[in-house]
Amino acid sequence: MKFGNIKLGEIRESQIGAALAVSFLLFNVIFWAYPFVWLLILSFSDWRFFDVPTFSGLKNFFIVLDDPEFWRSLWNVLRFLGYYVPIVLTCSLAFAFGLQHIGRGKVFIALCFLLAHISSGVAYSLVFTKIFSSTGPMNRLLLDWFGFSIPWLSSPSMAMFSISLVVTWKFVGYYGLILYSGLVAIPNEIYDAAKLDNTPPLMRLFKISLPMINSQLIMVLVFAITVAFGIFTEPYMMTAGGPMESTNMPLLVIYESAFHRLQPGRAALMAVIIAIVSYLAIKIMRKILEKNVELV
Amino acid sequence: MRNIIEMMLAGAFLLISGCSGSDPTPEEFSDDKIIRLWVAPDESQEAFWKIVVERWNKRGSGIQVKFKTIPAVESSEKAILTALVAGNAPDLSTNIFSGFAAQLAGLGQLQDLSVMDGYKELVLVRHMESIMQGWDQGGKKYVFPLYSNPTLIWWRGDILQKLGINKIPQTYDDVYELSKQYAASDHKFGMQIMTGLNWYDRWYDYISFYYAASNGVPYINDGKAFYDNDAGLSVLTFMDTIYKNGWTALDFESDDPLTTGLVVGAVRGPWSVSFFKRMYPDTLKKIIVGPMIRKHKTDGKAYTFADSKGLVLFKHSKVKAEAFAFISWVLSNDELSLLWLEKTNLPPARGDLMENAIFKTFYEANPLAKQYAIYVDVAIPSAFIESTIDVQKIMGFEMVESVKFGTKPPETALADAVRRTNKLLKVAH
Repeated sequence: MKFGNIKLGEIRESQIGAALAVSFLLFNVIFWAYPFVWLLILSFSDWRFFDVPTFSGLKNFFIVLDDPEFWRSLWNVLRFLGYYVPIVLTCSLAFAFGLQHIGRGKVFIALCFLLAHISSGVAYSLVFTKIFSSTGPMNRLLLDWFGFSIPWLSSPSMAMFSISLVVTWKFVGYYGLILYSGLVAIPNEIYDAAKLDNTPPLMRLFKISLPMINSQLIMVLVFAITVAFGIFTEPYMMTAGGPMESTNMPLLVIYESAFHRLQPGRAALMAVIIAIVSYLAIKIMRKILEKNVELV
Repeated sequence: MRNIIEMMLAGAFLLISGCSGSDPTPEEFSDDKIIRLWVAPDESQEAFWKIVVERWNKRGSGIQVKFKTIPAVESSEKAILTALVAGNAPDLSTNIFSGFAAQLAGLGQLQDLSVMDGYKELVLVRHMESIMQGWDQGGKKYVFPLYSNPTLIWWRGDILQKLGINKIPQTYDDVYELSKQYAASDHKFGMQIMTGLNWYDRWYDYISFYYAASNGVPYINDGKAFYDNDAGLSVLTFMDTIYKNGWTALDFESDDPLTTGLVVGAVRGPWSVSFFKRMYPDTLKKIIVGPMIRKHKTDGKAYTFADSKGLVLFKHSKVKAEAFAFISWVLSNDELSLLWLEKTNLPPARGDLMENAIFKTFYEANPLAKQYAIYVDVAIPSAFIESTIDVQKIMGFEMVESVKFGTKPPETALADAVRRTNKLLKVAH
């Protein structure tokens, strides 16, 4: 059967395609667009859960601007990135290069590293809290062997570093596999040619490997930035945002504002600001670091 | 195509029914002739309410009571708030602390209990006149305290003995002395001073010490910080001395330091008795319970903080009088107070725990529980303010942690905390 130039089979196919696309759009409208619009409305509203939201103009905006805790949490995102990005990139690259040189058991090792990624955040945060305690096993060992201890989680200057170590442990397998997929796609001929030209290994790393996995590196960096703005469980469980609010992250402030202080309007505005800042951070990072690498 | 639609409908039905979880159906709530009660998600408290509700329902003297534990989400507060917003909150709920009650009252969700029939009689029969003063909110009583957990100090009796100390430490000087001796040995500490990094940990360190130092003077009064006094400063100076001398660790997150003998003393509530009974029975045998420490020992019992939870009646309830009649029956019955004590080990909020003969046998058999009961009448709950979290976060950031890390002298730390708290409370008002 034909409708003009279109066969029935083709119509059915296009209908199925449209239906699938609609389900995706519907999902996004319900779970992304609707909450985001609601978030925007709340940002300009006075609401305490029980009453009807009333328009409050820029009141929430001025209160959030004047809130040192919120700005400190944004500063903490930068501090976290300062520790996390170099550590997680180095470890993930080491993992990816290591995986390249493993013959048997590659899948098993990759799965072992991925195990951390699927572990319960609450469970491992509790374990690391005990390990890193100033009177915990790690410090007991340091004291016995070297005569000193490290205030992993109890010093304002160390706590963020320790949390970034834990988050690195969680993501190193995941990021490593992304980088590994880029490394295995680099043709061996390029390395062979470089070796013939007596290019030293470090030069090969910086001139061949890293530029050739630029898209994977950018992907990892995007993930790292989103983790930095969205991190919650580790600081909530391990340090409660302390000591001296040195690990107080935006999501903790948003959560407390909404559900403990019962100020969902302010929390919504904070969420919108965080969304914009994180989007800009990713845009800037991509603008600076993203390269269009093509094998000609 | 029809099959697909049927499958989608079935899936949607499953999804919707799955989302509703184990929450009661609206039909369950439509019955106006049922008192709905939510109780703390705690095995022992649940056991108590099960017996009590069964007895009440069998008596048939009032309308039936249906109870369930507060749904297990992250916190009771969150579960209750969600239920209130969703319109399926109960008539009565236990497990309410003063700060949350202040928030709920501020939102117009709570019934003033002091105007209910039988309220005055209930207070009289439980000898709670002085206890209820601590639960006053602008002349109204939105919460009826069920239990009052005073914070006291646990000392390792065996270590004190080894150090040649024969009396329980009661003053800052006593703590300095024992810390000097004990901290001289292999990486040991005198006392656990700071309980933790969370805002609520201030109840168990600064606020407990402050109540003892000030003889129960509130830390927030008339919408202003009230700890800007000698007592407030003496507590900070004590903490400063302990931290400067290294007589306490920066944190004790690894194991309970009393069990490992890492410290000689630490602030603990009565809930620790049942926990230690279960987990560390050998350590519990070595524990001596002492009062909250202060600068100088004075006559009378040392005041302390009461980790106290109470019961509220929600304004939306259609069975307010009946619900309060049920509560009056439960709480005015001495036998049920004893049952509460036996089931939970938590001191009921009543002013006659030491005088009422019905509790005598229990306390003779449980000397640690008796120690806590002695202090119920001098244990004061946290301030009735909506900004509990912020006030205590300021205490932690500006005072306790500043002193801990030596970034400010106690005088400056106190002044900064008071200034920020007053600014916060002014805005809140």
